[in-house]
This record gives sequence, C-alpha cells and structure tokens, in this order.
Amino acid sequence: MAAEQKDWLQKLQTFDRRWIFLAMGVAIIAPLFAPLNLPVAPSAMVKSAYYTVEDLKEGDRVLLSLDMDPASTPELEPYYRAVLLQLKRKKVKIVIATTWYAAPPLVERWLSSTVEGRIIKQGDSSYHGIPDDPYVKNEDYVWLGFREGREATINGMATDIRGTFDNQAADGTPLDDIEIMNGIESLADFDLIVMVSAGYPGIKEYIQQAQGRGNLRMVGACTAVSVPEYTPYYNSGQLLGLVGGMSKAAEYEKLVGKIGTATQGTDVLNLGHVVVISAILFGNFIFFAGQRRRRTLRSGKV
Amino acid sequence: MKSTIPLVIGCFVGWFAFGELYVPHEDYRWVFEFLRDQAQILAAMAFILGGINVIQVNYPKIRRREADWQYKVVLLVGAVAMGTAGLRWHALGGEADSGSMAVSGTAAVGTGYATLAFDSADRDALVIIDGAPPVRAWHSGNPSDITKPPGDQALSVQLRPGEHVITVRKPVEGYAKHEVSILVADNEPTSAKYEILKRWVELLPAAAAVLPINVAPGQVVTVSTDLVMYWGAGSPHGRVFTWMYDHIFFPCNATMFALLAFFIASAAFRAFRARNTESALLLGAAILVMIGLVPIGRAMSPIFPEIEEWIMDTLNTTGRRAIMMGAALGAIATGLRVILGIERSHLGSD
Repeated sequence: MAAEQKDWLQKLQTFDRRWIFLAMGVAIIAPLFAPLNLPVAPSAMVKSAYYTVEDLKEGDRVLLSLDMDPASTPELEPYYRAVLLQLKRKKVKIVIATTWYAAPPLVERWLSSTVEGRIIKQGDSSYHGIPDDPYVKNEDYVWLGFREGREATINGMATDIRGTFDNQAADGTPLDDIEIMNGIESLADFDLIVMVSAGYPGIKEYIQQAQGRGNLRMVGACTAVSVPEYTPYYNSGQLLGLVGGMSKAAEYEKLVGKIGTATQGTDVLNLGHVVVISAILFGNFIFFAGQRRRRTLRSGKV
Repeated sequence: MKSTIPLVIGCFVGWFAFGELYVPHEDYRWVFEFLRDQAQILAAMAFILGGINVIQVNYPKIRRREADWQYKVVLLVGAVAMGTAGLRWHALGGEADSGSMAVSGTAAVGTGYATLAFDSADRDALVIIDGAPPVRAWHSGNPSDITKPPGDQALSVQLRPGEHVITVRKPVEGYAKHEVSILVADNEPTSAKYEILKRWVELLPAAAAVLPINVAPGQVVTVSTDLVMYWGAGSPHGRVFTWMYDHIFFPCNATMFALLAFFIASAAFRAFRARNTESALLLGAAILVMIGLVPIGRAMSPIFPEIEEWIMDTLNTTGRRAIMMGAALGAIATGLRVILGIERSHLGSD
C-alpha cells in the first residue's frame, strides 16, 4: 500500500505540464462547439461607462482615442464596436486619434467598415434597437491619425489639439474646413473622451496629462490585466467608467443590446479561468503532498 | 563646461515646464509649445536612432556567424522591407489620376431616372452607392454577389432624382478610391453647370474629388476608373505596407499575445504556491477575483462577484494608491534632483 502511494506521489512530482496546455487548448476550443451561454450581468463600473455615454445628446462631440495594436483586438474590439454603435445611434460627432504607431492600419480598416459602413447589417435579427447610419468623413467624424510623442502628444492635445496634429486631419483636410472641429481647441472642448487603451500610452497617461487640467469627462476600456491599475482612477471619479477586458465588454454589449464577439468569447473565459484555477489548486496539491512525503521520509516512517 | 551647459539647459527646461501649469501668459505658452514640439521631434528621432542601433548590434553578429545569426538576418530583412514599403513611391512625379466622369445623352423633360454606367479598368473593383453593400463593377449577371469572380458585364444602374454618393474601390486596402457625388436634377438639364464642375475635378487629385456632378433625367453618367496602387505608411496606407501589416505583423502580434493563456496556465501550475501566509493570501485573492470576474462565478454563487468587487475596490485601490503616491513622490524627488543638478547620471559617466 505504501509502495503504491509512493509511486502515485512520485508520478505527480514529475507531472508533465503539457497536459495543462492540452486542457487550456480544450477550454478554448470546446465552447466554440458547445456554448455554455451563461447569463451576463453588468457590473457597476460598466454601467457607469454606459450611462455616461448615454447622457450625450445629438451633435455632441466626442474624442475616441484608439491606443492599441492587433494583439489586443480580441479584448478591445468588442467594446469599440459596442460604444461606436451607441455613439452613432445617438448621432454624436466623433473625432478619432491614436498615440500608438501600430494602430493606424487597423483603425483605418475599422473606419471604413464600422464608421463609414453600418455596424448593424440589414436583416440582423439579433438586434432590436435603433440601427446606425453610415458616417461621412469630415462631416460626421474626423480621423486625425497618429502622432509620435506619447505623453508629449497627449499633453499637446490637452492644450492645443490643432497644433499637435498640424491643423489637419489624416487625409490632409485643414481642420478649419471641418465644421465639427469648430471651437475645438483642446481636449477640454469635447463633451466626452472615450479611450480604448491596450497599455502605454493610454488611459493612465490621458488622466495624468489631461484629465486634471479641465476636469475632463472620460470613460475607457482596457485589457483585463490593466484593470487593477486603473480602478483607483474610477474610484476617485477621474474616470467615469471602466470596461476591463472581454468579460466586461460582454456586459457592455448586453447594455447596448448588440451581442458581439465578447459575449461569444465569454465562454472561453469561463472555462479558461476554471483551467487556471484548477492548475493553481493542482500545483499546490502536488507541492503539499511532496512536502508531506519528504517529512515522512525524514522521520523514517517509510 | 561639458557638463555645465547640459545642466543649465536641464535646469531651465525643468523649471519652465513646471511653471507652465501656473503661468497662463501667451508668450510663455508659445515657448512651452515649442519645447513640447521638440520633445515630439526627439521621440520621432528615437526611431531612427533605434534603427541604426539595430543594425549596429545585429550586423556584426551576422558577419561573425554568431549563435542564432539566421534570426538576425530575418530581423534586418524585415526592417528594411517594412521601411521600403513605408515610402510613398507612387507619389514620385505626382499623384496619378484614378478616375474621371462623363455625361452623355439627351436630357428628358420632367421627372425620371438617370443612368449610371461604370467603366472600370480594374476587373475586381467594387462600387458602393449611398453606403449600400458593395456590388461588382464587372459581373456575370448578379452584381450583388461579390463572392463570385468578376464577369464580363459592366455595371449599370438607374439613379432616381436626388443626391447620390458613389465610391469605386478595390476589395483590398492600399489602392486609391474614386469617390463622386452625383445630383440627379428633376427638371432642367444642367450641362453647363456640369462643365464648370468637371474643370474643378480636373484640378484636384482624383482620390480626393468629392464634387457634385449634376445630371438630368434621361442622361447617362459614365464613371471611368483606374485605381492606382499606393505605397507608403501614411494615410491612406499603401498596398505593400498593408499586406505586410495584415499577413505578417498582425498574425505574429496576435499569436504572441494569444500564447499568454498557455503561459499563464503553466506558470499558475508551477509557480503559484502557498509557501507562506502572504503567498496564501495572494493566492486566495487571485482565485476569488478570477472566479468573480467571469459569469461562471456568478452562476456558482452571487457572492463571488461581490467579493471580487470588494477586493478590487477596497484592497486593490488602497494598495495601488499607496504605490502610485510613493512613485509620484519619488518622481518629484528625482525631477528636483535633475533640475537642481544633484542628479547627473543622465549626463553619462564623463
């Protein structure tokens, strides 16, 4: 009996971690074939972000800062689509910019498919709200493009957004010729700043460089790993709402009324989290079982 | 002298930037904005410096055939290829014209439709009319089915009176777009007005020409396009750059991030051990936050999301604030040391 137990414990000590990889692989793939469809309940931070956008009126002007790269699209694109639908159906004018060099090709594709095109396709039976209309470039929205300089760029936008972007949109149109830019001199002139942020520079730098200057109204979305870092800004009221990661984006999709990839991906998160927690518990079980065995061996009982 | 001048510059710029928050004078702001522009230029120059550094570090290793030299070849070739694709080669000698319009036929009296005909040099060109789903400029019976290859029939559609925005584009990014606004009048023929507008169009780059062309019912407006391929990494992005971004950078970038799920699972198994009370507390908090964040936690018990929120709002916020305030005080102290010339490490060892 003791020999059997020894064998079993020894095998556990040399557990091949590739089994963990396999379990994670299954956790990612299985929900694609058999969705769990567990109910999603919006949390306070997400509701706060949603209702801040919902308070906007037709014709209000919003800065949408897309500070991200392709790696973060699974977590951030669902929020971008949901908040854009919300902004478009409220007929809010949008000014878009980025401080990430890897973002422009991605953003420009989104502009043509989601801003100039429709997010709600004709015949979409899953959506029952107000459909969105295509936006016209330099009439309903402006794409300012990318500027290098990180904090210096954000600081520049906070004091002189026109100078920071050489007084022209990304397509070369002078900002003076674009009606929705009339009266916009700095970030303080926007009714709301929506940040979709994958890291540095992003939400934190906007708050540090710009928020305090004019008590700006800001909401943001970030990757799940950044939530602990930004939560204090939400609790202090500097950030009016925060949507962290895919699970919170799914909550936002529910509030907006358009089910997207975040809701579909939540099943993967559910099982993925279960695998990680199981791995932690299993690793600790092996650790303590090994410790106990070593103590037993030292005391000479086996 | 070698270190005194940089110290004086550092001191002046440091105090000046500090004062910006308190001095609203216009001239002061002008100088500050000039300094901030310099910071942006320096940040951009860092990319060039970084590029030179990459070559300086990697080229000698390739020449000496050091370990993993093959990867360094890939790195340098990739950097050169992306840099080459980032230049606007098509703009050498001026932008090419990517389209034109012509109106023909006799105007009908009264209300009715005008005809919009397409003559595209690109067989795969797509046409978007008033933001509707794209249709093929060349089709084989059903222009709406863009999943089928292009056919031999040129697209021709009827336009009702009113203003219409027509876009001709390629199915992939990186080419010029041809965009025109057509106003179908519902009474008098307006050929004279058209002639004036046409001259305006000729003065502007075709890709940027969005001018109303007035057409009367019964007339035919032919839109001819030859969409030039763009180069470069600006707005709009060139085809080669876009292709490399879509097919190399995007998947590699996404793959690296996606692998994190496996690394985290593996690290959780190997390293996350309750060796003492502190690590046990950390481990317990991590498990509760993880389970409370996802719907499966709520499905197990509604207490999990509440615990998660409490940990994040109370424990996390408290700890984070302490760290942030400590770091801010440290940054202020370091800043003061630099401004006052006590801290000199940034000037180098000489």
